[in-house]
Amino acid sequence: MSPVVENADVVVVGGGPGGSTVSTLLAKRGHRVVLLEKETFPRYQIGESLLPSTVHGIGRLLGVTEELENAKFMVKRGGSFRWGTNPVPWNFLFAVAPELSGPTSYAYQVERMKFDEILLRNAARNGVDVRENSAVTTVLDDDERVRGVRYTDPEGVEREIQATFVVDASGNRSRVHQHVRGERIYSDFFKNIALFGYFEGGKRLPAPDSGNILCAAFDEGWMWYIPLSETLTSVGAVISREHAAKLQGDQEEALLGFVARCAIVKDFLSDATRVREGTYGELRTRKDYSYTNSSFHRPGMVLVGDAACFIDPVFSTGVHLSTYAGLLAARSINSVLAGDIAEDRAFEEFEGRYRREYRVFYEFLSAFYDMQSNEDSYFWKARKVTNLNATDMEAFVTLVGGVHSGEQALTQSFQESSGALADAVERTGSMQTESGERMHHLFGTPVVREVMTEMNNIQVRGVQGAEAVEAPLLENGLVPAADGLSWTEPKK
Amino acid sequence: MTAPLSLDRLRGDVAEVLAEEPGSFADDDNLIDRGLDSIRLMSLATRWREAGYEAGYLELAQEPTVKAWWNLLGSEESK
Repeated sequence: MSPVVENADVVVVGGGPGGSTVSTLLAKRGHRVVLLEKETFPRYQIGESLLPSTVHGIGRLLGVTEELENAKFMVKRGGSFRWGTNPVPWNFLFAVAPELSGPTSYAYQVERMKFDEILLRNAARNGVDVRENSAVTTVLDDDERVRGVRYTDPEGVEREIQATFVVDASGNRSRVHQHVRGERIYSDFFKNIALFGYFEGGKRLPAPDSGNILCAAFDEGWMWYIPLSETLTSVGAVISREHAAKLQGDQEEALLGFVARCAIVKDFLSDATRVREGTYGELRTRKDYSYTNSSFHRPGMVLVGDAACFIDPVFSTGVHLSTYAGLLAARSINSVLAGDIAEDRAFEEFEGRYRREYRVFYEFLSAFYDMQSNEDSYFWKARKVTNLNATDMEAFVTLVGGVHSGEQALTQSFQESSGALADAVERTGSMQTESGERMHHLFGTPVVREVMTEMNNIQVRGVQGAEAVEAPLLENGLVPAADGLSWTEPKK
Repeated sequence: MTAPLSLDRLRGDVAEVLAEEPGSFADDDNLIDRGLDSIRLMSLATRWREAGYEAGYLELAQEPTVKAWWNLLGSEESK
C-alpha cells in the first residue's frame, strides 16, 4: 500500500534542542514545518550543563527566557576545574570580572527532560507541527537533492512528507545523516567513553560557585560533577575507550571505583547515596568520541547537532553546538526559501561557521587536555599535543575541514595554545581568590578569544535584537539580517 | 562608512547604550556604576571595531571610563 503523502516546506527529524531551535526559527518566518520525534517527551537525555549563549542568545531568539527562569534551573556562573598543576580547583567564569554583570555572566545546569520539553512545546506554540512517537524510516532523494522522508506514525501507519528541506537533528545514533553522502570521521585523540549516574546529598562548592560544574582530572581520565538541584548531582567518569571492557561487568563497582580514585569527587560524595529508582536510578554509558561528518549538507538536506559532529563533553558544548547549528541552519533555509540567497552560498555560510565553531573548540580541547599531566597515566600521555603524529595531524585537518598548514606548523600552533592557556591558568590562580575571580588572563589567550567570538555575537543579537551590529565572520561571508533569522550580503 | 571617532562621539555612543543623556556622566565616572554590563560593552567594542578601531572587549573592560577609553582609542588614531 502506498503511504499517505503530505507536503511541507521543511521536515525536521528530531525534537532535541537542535531540532526545536531550527524548527521554531523557521516557523517564526511563517514556513510550514513538521518536526518528527521518535520518542514521546519528556524523555531522558545527557548533556546537562549549558553555556550562556544558549540561554541568553538562542533562548531570547526562541522566546523562552521567562520560561527558563521560571523553571528554577541551577544557576551556573562557570566551570571549576581540578585540572593541570594547581592542586586547588580554579574557575573559568563566564563574566570577565565580578563587577561586570549582565546576562552573559551565567548559564544553567538543566535536567534535560525539563529543558528539552520547554523548547519542544515552545516550537509547537510557534506553529511547528510537532509529531512525537514518529520514527523516520527512509529519506527520499534522487541524484539532484533530498526531497522528503517517510515515517511511521503512532498508529503504525507509514506516511510520507515531501519537503524542500530535510533537517537531520536526530542525534548520534541515528543513520539519517548518511544521506548527506559524507562519512563520519573520528578523532583518534579523543575516543573517550563515559559512565554516569546520579547521587543525592553530594557536597557543593562554596558560594557563589555552588552551581558550577566541577571537572576533576584523575589518573584514568576525568569526572564531571554537575549540581542539578540543591541535592541531586549528575556524576560521570570520562575514560579511555581501552577501559570499555570494565564497563561490561558491574557498572556500579566501576563507577564507585572511579569515584574512589578521584580525590575531590570522593570527598564530595562521602555522605551521598546513589539514586536507584526512576529515570535517574539507572547507570548509563555513552561513547563520547569526538567526530565530525565530512559534509554537513547537500542540496535539500542539512545536519544539525550530534548528527553532524560532537566534541568531548569537558566544556559543556553539546547543547551549544546543537542550538548554534540550529540557528545557522534556520538562517540559511529562511534565506533560500525567501529567494534572497542561492542555496549553495547560504549553506557555504552554514558549514563555514559551523566548522569554525567546531575547530576553535577542538583547539581549545587539545590545549586543555595538554595541560593535565599524570606521569604514569596512559590516558593523559596519549592526549599530549607533543604526541600527535602525522596521521593525527592529517585526521585533525580532515576533522575540522581546515587548510593544511603543514604538520610542524600545526604542532607548533597547538603547543603555543597550550602554553598560553597553562600560563593564563597559573596567573588566574585558585578559585575563591581575588585573582581567581578575574578572567582577563584566560579570556585574553588567543584560543579562548576565538571560542568566545560567536557565542558573544549571539548573545548580543539575542539581547539587542535589530540593533546588534555584526561584521562578516568568514572571508567574503554573509551577515545576519536584522531579526537574526536569515542571512544578508554585508553592506559595502 | 562610519564617522571617525571623536571624543564627543565616544561620549555619545556610551550615552546611547546606557540610555542616558550625554553629559549626565563625567569622563572619569566608572561606567559599571552607570549600568554598563557585558552585553553593552560588547556592542560598544563591535561598534568601534566597525569604525576601524581595534577596541577589544577585554581592554575596554580593564578600566571602564570614557577617559580611559579615549586614551585607548585616541592613541590608536595617532598611529
